[in-house]
Amino acid sequence: MAGSGAGAIWVHGELAPGGSLAKISAEVATLARTIGEAAGRDVVGVVVGADPAVAAAELATYVPRVLTVTEPATAEHAAGTIVGQRVAALIEREQPAYLLTGAGPEGRDLAGVVSALADWGVLVNAVGVTWDDRPVVSMSIFGGRLTTTSRFTGDHGIVTVRPNAVTAAPAAAPGTVEATTVDGELALPLVPIVERLEAAGVAAPIEEARIIVAGGRGVGGPDGFKIVNELAEALGGAVGATRAAVDSGWIPYAQQIGQTGKIVKPALYLALGISGAIQHKVGMQTAGTIVAVNRDPDAPIAEFADVVVIGDLFEVAPALLAALRARAG
Amino acid sequence: MRIVVLVKPVPDTASGGERLRPDDWRLDRQAIPTVVNANDEYALEAALKLTEAHGGEVVLVSMAGAGAPDTMRKALAMGAASGALVTDDALAGSDIVSTARVLAGALRDMEYDLVLAGADTSDGGAGVVPAGIATLLGLPYLSYAAKIEPNPDAGTVRVNRITPTGYEVLEASMPALIVATQALGEPRYPSLKGIMAARSKTLETKGLADIGAGDAPVGGAVATTAVLGSEAPPPRAATRVIREPADEAARQVVEFLAERRII
Amino acid sequence: MASSTPPPASSESHPAPTYRLTEDQLALRDAVRVLAADRIAPRAAEIDRTAEFPWDVKELLASHDILSLPYPEQYGGLGGDLLTVCLAVEEISRVCATSGLILAVQELASLPLLLAGTDEQKDRWFPDLAAGRKLIAFALTEAEAGSDVAAARTRARRDGDGDGADWILDGSKRFISQGSVADLLAVFAVTADDDDTPRHERLTCFIVDKDMPGFGVERIEHKMGIRGSPTAELSFRGVRVPDANRVGGVGEGFPLTMRTLDRSRPGIAAQAVGIAQGALDVAAAYARERTQFGKPIAEFQMIAAMLADMDAQTEAARQLLYKAATEIDAGAPDASRWSAMCKLVAGDTAMRVTTDAVQVLGGYGYINEFPVERMMRDAKITQLYEGTQQIQRLVIARALTARR
Repeated sequence: MAGSGAGAIWVHGELAPGGSLAKISAEVATLARTIGEAAGRDVVGVVVGADPAVAAAELATYVPRVLTVTEPATAEHAAGTIVGQRVAALIEREQPAYLLTGAGPEGRDLAGVVSALADWGVLVNAVGVTWDDRPVVSMSIFGGRLTTTSRFTGDHGIVTVRPNAVTAAPAAAPGTVEATTVDGELALPLVPIVERLEAAGVAAPIEEARIIVAGGRGVGGPDGFKIVNELAEALGGAVGATRAAVDSGWIPYAQQIGQTGKIVKPALYLALGISGAIQHKVGMQTAGTIVAVNRDPDAPIAEFADVVVIGDLFEVAPALLAALRARAG
Repeated sequence: MRIVVLVKPVPDTASGGERLRPDDWRLDRQAIPTVVNANDEYALEAALKLTEAHGGEVVLVSMAGAGAPDTMRKALAMGAASGALVTDDALAGSDIVSTARVLAGALRDMEYDLVLAGADTSDGGAGVVPAGIATLLGLPYLSYAAKIEPNPDAGTVRVNRITPTGYEVLEASMPALIVATQALGEPRYPSLKGIMAARSKTLETKGLADIGAGDAPVGGAVATTAVLGSEAPPPRAATRVIREPADEAARQVVEFLAERRII
Repeated sequence: MASSTPPPASSESHPAPTYRLTEDQLALRDAVRVLAADRIAPRAAEIDRTAEFPWDVKELLASHDILSLPYPEQYGGLGGDLLTVCLAVEEISRVCATSGLILAVQELASLPLLLAGTDEQKDRWFPDLAAGRKLIAFALTEAEAGSDVAAARTRARRDGDGDGADWILDGSKRFISQGSVADLLAVFAVTADDDDTPRHERLTCFIVDKDMPGFGVERIEHKMGIRGSPTAELSFRGVRVPDANRVGGVGEGFPLTMRTLDRSRPGIAAQAVGIAQGALDVAAAYARERTQFGKPIAEFQMIAAMLADMDAQTEAARQLLYKAATEIDAGAPDASRWSAMCKLVAGDTAMRVTTDAVQVLGGYGYINEFPVERMMRDAKITQLYEGTQQIQRLVIARALTARR
């Protein structure tokens, strides 16, 4: 096959800090491969970056073919607009039909830029994608009270996919990586990165965590998050929080789950001192298993958790920690 | 400084009563009360703090239905100086492409140093429109801001953009478009004087013909996406309630997690 | 009784004002409601437990211009009418009666100045009061002069001759809400006690600054309810007060207290309606969620009937309050009657509804895990202060018989 196949399904390979492939991209690639098989269409990965090789090689374990564009400008500038312009130019040249990307910050930036440059529609926050002549996209809305299915009215479009929509699975045989170039100036303004700041305590991205231990108002203060952290560590999970805990300054915004924070879908969500108000519920209710510890038996979370322990979290959580450690030996 | 904040009236999620219209699967905006999108309030708060520190004023821009002014008054009550609402029957059911074009069109004739937008909306949840607007207008785009530091004399702005490992400090010349996050600080409650003052502030309503949205058609009729249907997800299994002393409760939880092979 | 008499005489002497909350009033009410629910409700239990004046809530009310409601715009106020002030008191009291009282007392104690103060006095004090930089308390009641206001013993005598001479205050006041946290006090003192002077011409009103030498807070009462609102016993030992601090004419204090109370009692009625609504909110939510014998207790007819009565009574009290405030704002000649009626009905309603709310919650209602026991304790004061319920009946009955 000469080109990358008009009508192909493309997957954006997002770079994680350090240059490896972001976990979300492995999931999106797996999803794209599944619908590509159903549609009988080519599936192609595309990675744009100052040094795309490592991520591209990883992406090639999920899809048969990966295109890379080496773009030095992304090393020292905000990447979203640059990657978006290069992907849009590639789309114009190669004429794929659909682009799938993660629904995180990088994927959203990309989708916005490409949508504007290519005039492509966007279906957002997919929790599942199937194929019926075109992609059929499932989205969870109204805090999980409804699942909608949507499609594009035309023959192309962008889909942003939520973390944990599928489990990443490599293809039977690894694909190929091809470097390509995109001519043309970057027309949109470059935004230089003047400094990089490491933030202490920023753990693995919370959207990607398999287990999340989260604290709410009931945790009572920054000191209360000590036990939340310890439990997360014992379970090998990440720490989450409600808006109340974040607005009170007990924990960074990056850890916030809910309407104005992250939407997560871990295998286990352990909620400590969280009442489960709708604004929080929308961020976590699709978790595989929800366990809550709360003093108030009438808290909303008691209605949708799988297990709720009625009690003082400062008694139950240490007991839980002890039980987990005992089990681990 | 003159800062435009993009605001969207959205159904109040706290009401828990949002629904889709059964005929066209569009959001039923009549069904429940609307509020200012929560993430937009963070953007507005950030803008107000910036104008308090550097002088200037905050202007709201919204694309929404004809009922939007009531909700926009709430944002005016927080301290914005005036607002412009783009509303047009043809815009009902607009997709992301149209929304970005219309808002870019509304901004095209305005003067500003910064445009601030919320990270996403609680109804659409897309989080892609701001990047689209910046692209259409050729503005520097600085997303996921945890800190905004303008230097009006130099005509530049610095933003701490949240990344998985910390922050990238970005610098751009103004005007620029910034996506605000909650990390910028909790929105204020309007004061009573703010509410009274908001009632006499200018809220200009514009139709599609009044803005330069470009030659391409926009609105519900040319939407690139369509909802096919909706269903309630399968209900979760009944909650198991444990009312035992801490040690016994912990033992039961660990056993349950082991049964589900989570640990 | 007047069962066969036509409706009140007020409708004959002036056109009966109608009320319907204006858009401004609705917007202000909603804003106060959100602020109260988000920022004051979480503090209510602690305020009750610690019995400490909630300075943070006072700052919140000040920074959101809520304390400015009663004052004219020229002094930085919002120029709110009585009905608007009542709406705010109601919404705050719905979550915390102590906090609602902060606004109610600020208004009450400013009324003598609003009604009888000179422009110079208003210029001097209103900007600080409207901004919430200063609090003011109303010092009328004495240990031996409760309902019998004119029996006051606190004296003010001229120091020297002439109209402009200073006054020297001596005596004490008791049960003064916020008396220990206020910066200013509207004090009523006897300026003539000779037998020739009629009882209702003996009192004069003065503004006392807490920093004036001789003023002291003797003690703070331990109370059943509104525990965060300090109720103080105050002493005045030779306090020198400039004549410029005299509010109204010499000997005109008694009618001033009556006019003040006519306008302030609706504030207490608003507090009562708020307390009742707050208790109803909790009881209704609890009844929907609490399951016994396999169904929510709200579905049991005995509980449903209680909730229905609570709702109907609260709404009736509220509508009488709004009507009364509207009449008083319109200058009704029978303001005393409206004022007394709304406080009588609202106070009794608050007591009944909060008591029933405790009943709906059963054992949970009696413990401090839920707020209804606090609300029940808070409700009681609304039957006592700014005139006991018995005094309200007296006022109403007098108005009734005076019409003949």
